[in-house]
Amino acid sequence: MTQIGVGTPLPVVEQACNLTTAVMYAGASGDMNPLHYDQDFAAAVSPTGGIIAHGMFSMGLASRLLTAFAGGPDQVLEVQVRFTRPWPLGTTATFGGKVTSVDEGVATVSLWGDNASGERILRGTGRIAV
Amino acid sequence: MALNRDRVGTTYPPYLYEVSREKIREYATALGETDPRYFSDGDDCVAPPTFAACFTIVKGSQALFADPGLGTHPSLVHGSQRYRFGDRPLRPGDRLECTPRVADISARGGSEFLSVEVDCRFHDSGELAVLSEATIVFLGSAPPAAASGDPATRAGRPDGHADDADDADEEAAAAAVRKQEGAA
Repeated sequence: MTQIGVGTPLPVVEQACNLTTAVMYAGASGDMNPLHYDQDFAAAVSPTGGIIAHGMFSMGLASRLLTAFAGGPDQVLEVQVRFTRPWPLGTTATFGGKVTSVDEGVATVSLWGDNASGERILRGTGRIAV
Repeated sequence: MALNRDRVGTTYPPYLYEVSREKIREYATALGETDPRYFSDGDDCVAPPTFAACFTIVKGSQALFADPGLGTHPSLVHGSQRYRFGDRPLRPGDRLECTPRVADISARGGSEFLSVEVDCRFHDSGELAVLSEATIVFLGSAPPAAASGDPATRAGRPDGHADDADDADEEAAAAAVRKQEGAA
């Protein structure tokens, strides 16, 4: 790993959300809430009137930045996110982050996810051993 | 109906979860992961950090939703999530004992915030595998005394945090930074 300091960027992950990704995540995680794959159900209850991605799918993608940056899951001590906006099906989101502090072998990083309009769907922090 | 604040501190009976190689693969595939260890047939197989979602989100809140005395209702969104990890990643064959607890209940802007902790320990050693802290936002059920005058919030805003003053400040600060960066 190269020199890590305050401001060092994490890798960027871009991901489309579609019915395939939503159904795969539902099956893999066991979260079968129809809000994430059933259009009729989503029309009735969704905050957007349509299908939205699992919040935990976006958290999983943000965590990919941590493991990619740190070298694996062994180094990840903590991850925390807030789901600030829904992520509608059929759109692409971008996830990124940067180092905010390094102290006694632990780097704290900020994490974010933006939708295609540049609105923040996720914000969080992570702590990794460096 | 509002959530019952007498339930704060209540611990529900633990449930067991056994980590399997195929479930790790399935989860890693769904996230587009490429680390070969997530797909390994060997002893080096480990799970990605948020694999914990498989046993802390739906299973973790099952007992709470089944408790008529807590007063949960279906109009909800997942507000936030934190995982604190133990000394090593999860591996196939790990048996976990997971204990859910109502950590906190609060109200703001017409919504209620239920904080659920799930303490997951290795069954053999009793050591921490992962601690999950979820905030579930129940839209529109805050008791009248706690509800604000914001009609949009009472109608059930898509995002339980959208009316959060801290968020507005953060957004404003972020926008200011972006503006500066754009100008520079």
